[in-house]
Amino acid sequence: MTGHRHHSGPLVWIAVLAATCILLVLFQKVLWLVIPFLFALIAYYLVLPLKQRLVLSGVSHDTAAIAVSLGILSVLALTMLFSMPWLTAQLSALQSGGGRYLEGGLRFLGDTLSWVEASFSFAARANLAQETLAFVNDFNANFASRYMASAAMMAALWFPSLLLIPFLAFFMLRDGWRFKRFLSRAVPNAFFERTLFLLDQLDRTARGYFQGLIKLTVLDALCLAAGLWFIGVSSPLLLGILTAILAWIPYVGSIAGCLLVVLVAATDHPGNPSIAYAAIGLFIAVRMLDDFVFMPMTIGKSLKMHPLLTVLMIFAGGAVAGVAGLVLVLPLLGIVMVLGETLGAVLSDPRLRARHRYARQLLQAKVTQDLPA
Amino acid sequence: MFRLFSSAKSSGFQQQFSAVPLFSELSPRELKIVSTLIHERSALAGEIIFDEGEEGQAIYIVLSGQVLICRQGQALSPIATVGSGQIFGELALIDGGPRSAQARASTECLLGVMFRGDFERLMESHAVIAAKVSFQLARHYASIIRQLAATSPGSAN
Repeated sequence: MTGHRHHSGPLVWIAVLAATCILLVLFQKVLWLVIPFLFALIAYYLVLPLKQRLVLSGVSHDTAAIAVSLGILSVLALTMLFSMPWLTAQLSALQSGGGRYLEGGLRFLGDTLSWVEASFSFAARANLAQETLAFVNDFNANFASRYMASAAMMAALWFPSLLLIPFLAFFMLRDGWRFKRFLSRAVPNAFFERTLFLLDQLDRTARGYFQGLIKLTVLDALCLAAGLWFIGVSSPLLLGILTAILAWIPYVGSIAGCLLVVLVAATDHPGNPSIAYAAIGLFIAVRMLDDFVFMPMTIGKSLKMHPLLTVLMIFAGGAVAGVAGLVLVLPLLGIVMVLGETLGAVLSDPRLRARHRYARQLLQAKVTQDLPA
Repeated sequence: MFRLFSSAKSSGFQQQFSAVPLFSELSPRELKIVSTLIHERSALAGEIIFDEGEEGQAIYIVLSGQVLICRQGQALSPIATVGSGQIFGELALIDGGPRSAQARASTECLLGVMFRGDFERLMESHAVIAAKVSFQLARHYASIIRQLAATSPGSAN
C-alpha cells in the first residue's frame, strides 16, 4: 500500500497541465515580478553550491549568504572594470554600425531573393523580391514612429523591476533554507517523510534545470563563438553570448539569434554571401548539437518529461502567454509536476490519511483530557 | 579560520546529538554541521511514526521519550524498544528500501530526523563526517548481529 514508489494517475496529470496553463495566464499579469524572480532563481541556484560549501564548513547560513553575495558582487565589479574597455568598443561598434548592419542584411536578403526569383519561375511571377523588400523597407522606415515610444516606455517600466534581481537572489540565498524548514514543519507527521522526499525531488529538479540552463548557455556561446571566429565574422564572442542567451526563448529566440548572426556576417563580407550562408549553416549545426547532445546532457536530465509533452507544452505556453509563456512553461511545468505528484502521493494514500486522522484524535484526546465531556 | 565567523560553542540541540552514539565520533564543529541537516519532530504517545513496508527515506534519532518497533498491527508484542539517544529506521540511510517493521511512539517523543538525500549530499561534500557516521552505523549493525547470534537457538555463547 505504502511500500511502492508512487506513480501519478491521469487525473493528477490533467490537473498538473491545467494548473501550469492557469499559472502562465496569471504570471502574464505580473510579469514585472515573475521575470526578476526567474532570473533571481537562476542566480540563486548558480551560487547555491558555494553557499552550501561554506555552510558545510561550519559557517552560519546568514554569514555564508553575505560572504557569497559580496564575493559574487566583487567578482562582477572586477569583471566589469576590466572588460569595460572591450565591451564599450564592441557596443559602440555595434551602435555606430547599426544602420550599416541593417543595410547589409537587406542587401543580403535582396541578393538571395533575386537568386530565388532567377531559379524558380513561381517566385518571379509573385514578385517575391520586390514585395518582401517593400514590406521590410516599410517596417524599417516606420519602426521608430510605431514602436520606439512604446519600447522606451517598456524599458523605463522594466528597469526598476530588474533591480529586484540581486535583492531577491540574496534573500533566497539567506532565507531559502528557513523557508524550507518552515514548510517542512507545517507538514503533519503522517505525511512528513514522503513530502520531504518529494520536496527534495522538487529542489533537485529546479537546481538541475537552472544549473543545466547556465551550462547549456556557456556551451552554446563557446561553440558559436569558435565557429564564427573560424569563418571570420567580427565580435564572435559577443555574438555567441547574445545568441546563446536569446536561445532561452524556445524557437523565437533561435530565429532572432540566427538573424542577428546573418546581419553581422552579411555586413562584414558584403561581396561574399557564402560567409552569411556559412553562418546560417553553423547556427543550424550548433542548434542540432544543442538539441541532440548538449540539451540531454544538461537540462534534459533534470526534467524527466516525455519529449512530445515538452514540445506540446512549449506551444501551449506560447499560445497562452506569448513569449513569456515560451520561456516560463518548462520550469513551471517541472515545478507544478513535482508539486502535483507530492499532493497526489500524499492525498491519494488512504493509510497516510488514516494515520493523520488518528494522530489528530490523539491530540484532541490529549488537549481535552481535563475537560468535562 | 571560520571561528572568525561563527563560534564553536554548541547549542542545546547539538549537545543532545553529542550524546547519540551515531554522532559520538564527531567534533563540535562537525556536530554543528550535522545538526543543520536534522529536522525536529514531536510525536504523541501511540502515534505511528512509520509503517512496515513503507518506503524508507529517513533515519530517526530519539531525543526524548520511547518508541516501540513492532510488526504491523502487533503493538502489544514489540520487537524492540528504542529510548533516548538511540536510533531507528537506519536501514533507510543505506538503501531506501521498504521499512522492515512499524515504529510507534509509546510515550510522547521528541525525534531528530535525518533525510537520506541530505546524508547523500553530506557524503559528497564531507566524506570525513559521512565516514565517521557510517562507521558508527556499521558498529551499530555489528552489535545487532552479535545480539541476534547470542539469542538464537544453538548459539555457542
